[in-house]
Amino acid sequence: MSSNKIEFVFQNKVHQILNPDPNETVLNFVRSNLKKTGTKEGCAEGGCGACTIVLGELKNNKILYKSINSCITFVPVLNGKQLILIENLTSENGKLHSVQNAMVDYHGSQCGFCTPGFVMSMFAMFKNNKSINNEIINDSLSGNLCRCTGYRPIIDAAKSLNNLSRYDHFDKDKFIILRLLKKITKKNIEIASNNKKYFAPKTIKELKKILNKVKDAKLLSGGTDLSLEVTKKRKELEKIIYLGSIEELNFIKKYKNEIEIGASTTLINFEKQIKKYYLDFYNILKRYGSVQIRNVCTIAGNIATASPIGDSLPLLMALDAKIIIDGKNGKKIIPINNFFIGYRKTKLKQGDFIYSVKIPILKHNIFKAYKISKRFDDDISSVCGSFNLEINKNHIKRAKIAFGGMSEVPKRAIKTEKILINSEFSEKIFDKATKNLEKDFSPIDDMRASKKYRIEVAKNLLLKCFFEIKNQKLLRIN
Amino acid sequence: MNNNQNHINQSRPHDSAIKHVSGLAEYTDDIKEPPGTLFGAIGWSKKSKAIIKKINLEEVKKSEGVLAVVNYLDIPGRNDVGPVFDGDPIFSKEKVEFFGQPLFAVAAKSTELARKAVLKAKVKYKNLKPIVTIEDALKKNNLLFNVKKISRGNASKAISKSKNLLKGNFTTGSQEHFYLEGQVAFTIPKEDNELLVYSSTQHPSEVQQIISKMLNQKSNSITVLVRRIGGGFGGKETNFMTASICALLSYKTKCPVKLKLDRDDDIILTGKRHEFKSIYEVGFNDDGVIEGLKVKLASKCGMSPDLSHAINERALLHIDNAYYLKNLEVENYLCKTNTSTSTAFRGFGGNQGMMAIENVIDNISRYLKKDPFEVRKLNFYQKNKKNITHYGMKIEDNVIDKIFERLLKKSNYKKRYDQIRKYNLKSKFKKKGIAITPVKFGISFTTIHLNQAGALVHIYTDGSIHLNHGGIEMGQGTHTKIAQLVAHSFGLPYEKVQISSTNTSKVPNTSASAASSTTDLNGAAALNAVLKIKKNLEKFIKSKYKIFDKKDPIYKDGHILFGNRSFKFDKIVNEAYFNRVSLSSSGFYSTPKIKFDKKKFTGRPFYYFCYGAAVSEVTIDTLTGENILNRVDIVHDAGNAINPSLELGQIEGGFIQGQGWLTMEEVKWKANGEITTFSPSTYKIPAASDIPKEFNVEIFKEGSNKENVVNKSKTTGEPPLMLAMSVFFAIKDAVASVVNYKKIPILDAPATPENILMSIKEIKNRKMNGFYGE
Repeated sequence: MSSNKIEFVFQNKVHQILNPDPNETVLNFVRSNLKKTGTKEGCAEGGCGACTIVLGELKNNKILYKSINSCITFVPVLNGKQLILIENLTSENGKLHSVQNAMVDYHGSQCGFCTPGFVMSMFAMFKNNKSINNEIINDSLSGNLCRCTGYRPIIDAAKSLNNLSRYDHFDKDKFIILRLLKKITKKNIEIASNNKKYFAPKTIKELKKILNKVKDAKLLSGGTDLSLEVTKKRKELEKIIYLGSIEELNFIKKYKNEIEIGASTTLINFEKQIKKYYLDFYNILKRYGSVQIRNVCTIAGNIATASPIGDSLPLLMALDAKIIIDGKNGKKIIPINNFFIGYRKTKLKQGDFIYSVKIPILKHNIFKAYKISKRFDDDISSVCGSFNLEINKNHIKRAKIAFGGMSEVPKRAIKTEKILINSEFSEKIFDKATKNLEKDFSPIDDMRASKKYRIEVAKNLLLKCFFEIKNQKLLRIN
Repeated sequence: MNNNQNHINQSRPHDSAIKHVSGLAEYTDDIKEPPGTLFGAIGWSKKSKAIIKKINLEEVKKSEGVLAVVNYLDIPGRNDVGPVFDGDPIFSKEKVEFFGQPLFAVAAKSTELARKAVLKAKVKYKNLKPIVTIEDALKKNNLLFNVKKISRGNASKAISKSKNLLKGNFTTGSQEHFYLEGQVAFTIPKEDNELLVYSSTQHPSEVQQIISKMLNQKSNSITVLVRRIGGGFGGKETNFMTASICALLSYKTKCPVKLKLDRDDDIILTGKRHEFKSIYEVGFNDDGVIEGLKVKLASKCGMSPDLSHAINERALLHIDNAYYLKNLEVENYLCKTNTSTSTAFRGFGGNQGMMAIENVIDNISRYLKKDPFEVRKLNFYQKNKKNITHYGMKIEDNVIDKIFERLLKKSNYKKRYDQIRKYNLKSKFKKKGIAITPVKFGISFTTIHLNQAGALVHIYTDGSIHLNHGGIEMGQGTHTKIAQLVAHSFGLPYEKVQISSTNTSKVPNTSASAASSTTDLNGAAALNAVLKIKKNLEKFIKSKYKIFDKKDPIYKDGHILFGNRSFKFDKIVNEAYFNRVSLSSSGFYSTPKIKFDKKKFTGRPFYYFCYGAAVSEVTIDTLTGENILNRVDIVHDAGNAINPSLELGQIEGGFIQGQGWLTMEEVKWKANGEITTFSPSTYKIPAASDIPKEFNVEIFKEGSNKENVVNKSKTTGEPPLMLAMSVFFAIKDAVASVVNYKKIPILDAPATPENILMSIKEIKNRKMNGFYGE
């Protein structure tokens, strides 16, 4: 049985909405329906953080606090979660939360418009980390823009939280919230509203049934790309199938020679695991997007979107990852290097979905990846280069190189690789290889970078890779 | 409650800080709408230069939830929002002059429905060839005004006699304001055709006037209210289209209307900072002293005059920065382009003029292989000679030498300069750079009549104070600072003063909150009001209690002290009321001493100058052009600060905004005039991790304003932005290291990773030694 109402916990009560509009954003909902206007719209694309709210999620009898961008989250996604808004941080007796107090004490607000978003990001950071260092602060605040303060006072406010007691009214009310969250029945959701349909199946079996029945539905994971169809292009998504409720797709499995990541694993969970095997993969994922984005977006979402600037794609290509597709004809494996067929086009067929991604664990290889963008944090690549080399005694045995931002699809540098494979590991060979990059790619000019720069920087990344290996030292400034 | 009633020179949080962090601070879009409120959206041109052949709005009208559609035909009065000159039609009639120009607007049942509806318009254009760049406009002589020429001495002659000559050109880019709260207005029709307007604006009086002209109504029928705005930075000084269109929709529908631009529309439709190009020729001696300078200064003004005239004037007034230019000639070109009208932005042209001269000085130093610090110092204005600006103003408050001295010590500049040169010899790919730059920035509106302000102060019978003035709270803390001044003047706890919305019906004919002068002007006006009320009170007390002492009473700790007689403030105020004494007054202020002949370009346009200086150190990656800011040291003059914490906030925030302008923020247009950077995914402002790894900011300890400004303070609104010039020249210094400082890098602002890498490539491959010629 499926339910046509969603339920979530808000202000220590379960709220129910019957057939909510699946295209309505949580931001509009809290401002218009709940009449809570502390949450602001800054950009409607998850790029400024003014709309940051926190969702409490039940996991192993604990509540995990996730900051998200409410401007690109659809209302039905709230189902089964606790909704926390800026207004809820202040206790009922009017006492400010420690995070709020810190922002006042350190003069963290000027015009104040971005402030609620910052407070919410800091609140999630405060709840999720026992101690806070600069790296955690920079990461936690990377999705919040402030145009007035220059951030120093906000960062100081965040640092000051280390000295404070962690206990707050959310701890006090924890058992009530846990009880309520558990009470929300875990049903499949099927919503029909204003000619729009929304499905949130709980199992793969149910998902397949829906896929069989409903044609042309959009698969929704984090929605950080899909939701822009509504918030920017003003289109309607008539049929949505949300994958985030399917626990079977949310896993990370480790095998001897590979690691398998379920389709709806969020990047923030994935990055922690991949760090053990490929440090640069982790580094790139950190810069993939803000915490708010990485809290919701998934590896499968990144693959299925097939953007030429999707940051995980060139990395997966250089590592020769495999995609496991599921659908009405059962599971099949497609190497990621055969997956992309054109601008935002993949081999994924109607009715199919990505089940998982398998990434080989290469113990004898050197893996490096670089992301070049105008801003370090929360920016889209001009060029993202990924290098997977197997070098034995100054001899390059294998080389897999892939770039994002250099073509209409993320693409391998096959001709360049050929120069390197079975060659001597030397500056001369790498120099020669750089010349071939122009044969592999003919990038475009756009607002992020010129064609000329893209070529130039791609060549230099290959050289950087060489010198880093040769000198056994990272040559990076950040 | 804070018992310390010495509220000035006191750090205290922003008056709204607790509301900010609780989500309770109300912005225009947060105001609860009465039932029946409609929501607007603007339909705009998809061409940058075209004749409108046909516009079909039938589908728009039929779109779900739409109740009204308006265009130029619905405007009963003036179809223009130009503040000084005409040229900014609210809705185009026949021609469009930029991509994003409003054509019509709708009112619908929700914002979402309104925004969907405007996309359904069918417009047929006849395309014309747009002019998008400064170069193109110069070539076609497409100018908004005649070329303005200013000069002192004989620059050509001085240059020809100079031992050394450099020529070159240099560009600083545009910048999007990216206030976090976008343009928004909410209008409520009242009886007798009165209209209540809530607007996110820096200039409520101008909103009032523009709307009244548009509706052909008297100004007294329009009231504009602003409690606070979510950032302005100049972007809400003009840009009256949102409020005007909202008002027109209310006029047409007789309903309350809320109109907010989404982020994309906000960036596409509204103006930005002027891109400036300087083409210069400079003669100098072997020490680096500038003997003659000729500059062609061209700016990209967009499709209309807006404030470009005043902005370019400020550029001309700051082309000296802190340097004495004996022989100077500047030709100023205001280029008309088919882009949104360029507008006010923190610095207001001053920063662009200053970057032009700093670039010249930097190049001179590199040409002479001298530390730019020495060359800058050598060219400084001096105390008793070389102290007259090129516009004939004597500089009487110069402290740049002292600030440089303090900064030199604090930053350890000299030692680090040497260390960096050693580091760069050893480091192949990573290069460091360092630079020190000064700021001298003139304070006052250069349009003299704008230097006035009003305030309104009431004391109620319980002794509480109601404060109102013409300034807009946009984050800078002007309400906090003025409340501090008023509380201090009455000797009352700060909490006794209630800050209220800026309101055109309380204080009329206000100037924009701009030109860094909001607190200077409005604070003085508020104190003038306080003074008048005090006089009434004192007269009453003296006659009632037979006090013949001529000495002024002291207001302290909630009491008024006449010699040894003490009167409790609340009690005596109540008593005064029963004795029919006025406890309310307006206040007024106009800045003394200033006058400026715009035609002759001489006079004293500024009441005083702000000074500051910064040292920045960067590391660049010569393989990618990526860069980080290792350390910044700042010494900045805030005079005798009213609230040091708020001033610090302005200094740091201004610096980071300047850093963004000069490093990563890049506005881009296609050749056809379409802007391509209109959202945070394509337009990058600094994020938390971009700030200096080490950030040492010091308010100049000896600071005091020579002039009679409130509390002898100095404003910190715009000047700190220019401290970020040091970041740019540190990057240029790092680029120069690639060729061991033997050539001068060619680097325009913003120094994005791309521009840095291309500059490195160019300098490496350049055959020519020394300077670059034409």
